[in-house]
Amino acid sequence: MIKQRLFSRSKVDAKSDGHRYFVRLNFNERVQHMIFLICFIVLAITGFMLKLPEDIVQKFGNAKDIVFFYRGILHRIAGTIMILVSLYHVFYLLFTQAGRRWLQDMLPKFKDLTDMIGTMLYYLRVKEKHPEYDRFYYKQKLEYGALIAGATLMSLTGLLLWTEEMWPKFLLDIANIVHGMEAILACLAIMVWHMYEVHLRPRKFPIDNLWLTGVIEEEELREEFPLHYQKIMEDPELQKVYLVPEHEDGDTSLRV
Amino acid sequence: MRFYGHLAVKSLVLAVIFVILQIATASAQTDLVTDTENCLFCHRYPNMGRYDKSGNKRIYYVNEKLFASSVHGKLKCKSCHAGLDQIPHTNVKKVDCSSSCHIKEPSTGKEFSHSNMVDKFQASVHGAGTGGNAKRHPEDLPNCKYCHDNPMYRVPDGVWGQSNALINETLARCMGCHTSSHWAERFYSHFTHRMRKRRSQEEIVALCTSCHEDQEKMARHGLESIGTYKDTFHWIQVQYGVKDAPDCISCHIPVGYAAHDIRPRTDRISPINMDNRVKTCSNQGGVQSCHPGATTQFATGRVHAYGMKAQLLASQNQANFVEDENISLVIERAEKDLSKAELFNYKILKLVKLFYKILIAFVIGGMLVHQLLDYMASRRHLKSG
Repeated sequence: MIKQRLFSRSKVDAKSDGHRYFVRLNFNERVQHMIFLICFIVLAITGFMLKLPEDIVQKFGNAKDIVFFYRGILHRIAGTIMILVSLYHVFYLLFTQAGRRWLQDMLPKFKDLTDMIGTMLYYLRVKEKHPEYDRFYYKQKLEYGALIAGATLMSLTGLLLWTEEMWPKFLLDIANIVHGMEAILACLAIMVWHMYEVHLRPRKFPIDNLWLTGVIEEEELREEFPLHYQKIMEDPELQKVYLVPEHEDGDTSLRV
Repeated sequence: MRFYGHLAVKSLVLAVIFVILQIATASAQTDLVTDTENCLFCHRYPNMGRYDKSGNKRIYYVNEKLFASSVHGKLKCKSCHAGLDQIPHTNVKKVDCSSSCHIKEPSTGKEFSHSNMVDKFQASVHGAGTGGNAKRHPEDLPNCKYCHDNPMYRVPDGVWGQSNALINETLARCMGCHTSSHWAERFYSHFTHRMRKRRSQEEIVALCTSCHEDQEKMARHGLESIGTYKDTFHWIQVQYGVKDAPDCISCHIPVGYAAHDIRPRTDRISPINMDNRVKTCSNQGGVQSCHPGATTQFATGRVHAYGMKAQLLASQNQANFVEDENISLVIERAEKDLSKAELFNYKILKLVKLFYKILIAFVIGGMLVHQLLDYMASRRHLKSG
């Protein structure tokens, strides 16, 4: 039964079965995510190439200096795009309605702390049920916070290293360590936190399509983010924002 | 008696034929080098050699063709190998590169000698020391041959392209007047030989680290192992074969300095002395301008990673108990070489690294546990329907 549920959750199959869908990520946010994701992967690969052991570097053969040249160029291009997307995100948070709603829902509250404790107790079987979450729960908020801190640090140290001749060497030495260690932290965090959340988690395997479709099923929203669901149901204004209008063909994914 | 006489005549004839053949082939092969001493009479045989007392194979074969195209190809053997007057050679002296070799040095008309270089070298960090400053453990120090073999003249590439194009286009012009092609080629090679790096960056690093990575050998002289270079971005570039990537000599013998005259960093004329750093990093006037905009703040920072010296100084309380003579020598030098500010920087960098290690362990470890619990709870939830 578990297996059935694990593998049969493709939204494409369920499109015309009369289910209602809610927006989790709007089109703008999905594009931001997509650009950031591509930049992240390019940066990680081209960055960690500097840490390759000698014998693997030798495998590039005579092309290794060309590889190194494009490595540097790609790293800088991806870094610049990532910084621009991050700056746009700040603009989005402050100057668009959806962004301001996002920021408000993302700000840490006291409830997050009690949620965290409650969830731990649920995990340890002390409590029967886990606390009811709002639009974002504590783990997502932590991840988002870590992303902001990480992107800021990486951008700053990256820019320092890019313009090295202007700075004292000691500052560059610190920047070098921070850039390298933060990269390890970020990649591990993505693997352990994020990959689990969207790939390995039961019912999400092999991948949660939310990053592409942007929508979540009513049942899932009610189960995972009940407070958010309640708020939407009680407020017709919010319904206009989050509830995906149904069309005859049932294809909702591309219109949000 | 008749029988014996016949044999004697026969062997005499054979011997004469053998010698004539020898001389004929020997003189036929000595076109390339001016072997007036006829050393190749014996030394042209590839198997010529012996095992010395320590079991090492010594090869006495001289490949005429290779020798002729080497930088020393015009010299007589005895110019460098003194004491070869009798056969078998029982009075051979070690080659002394500072001796005069009976070739006129064209700028002064005096006999040519490398003694200038040798004198400078002896006063440098790699020399045995002069006067009362004799170095400890002279057996560790490199001699001329450690870095210099008898190099071949080669076509200059890298400066003006990779092909023979340069030699084709320019040498022909020289030979309009200098009609002996052999002479013109050697003269031409003599100049162009200096216009290229003979060793690749990786080969340079390999040459220097063949001694400088030996921690024990370095400690005998109060030095730290130079593995610290391999923690730099400079080395990563060398590893990737980047053109003009900085190897050891890029910074330790930049433009305006000589390889035989490397001085300690405290010396005013050392390129890595703090007063000369900006010039060294920017390499003004060199073929490759590395950090043209280098400021004093940038250039006077630490280039290699911090190594044994900083480690020892930072934990000096423990080091006091170390009775190892070499270690205390390293500490003694470290106290001179490492300023208080540098030691402070070392400690800060170490702290930042430690902070991140703890942070990573805490965050990732904590999250792993969290996700595992979540996984178990989710499965439990699914099972219960």
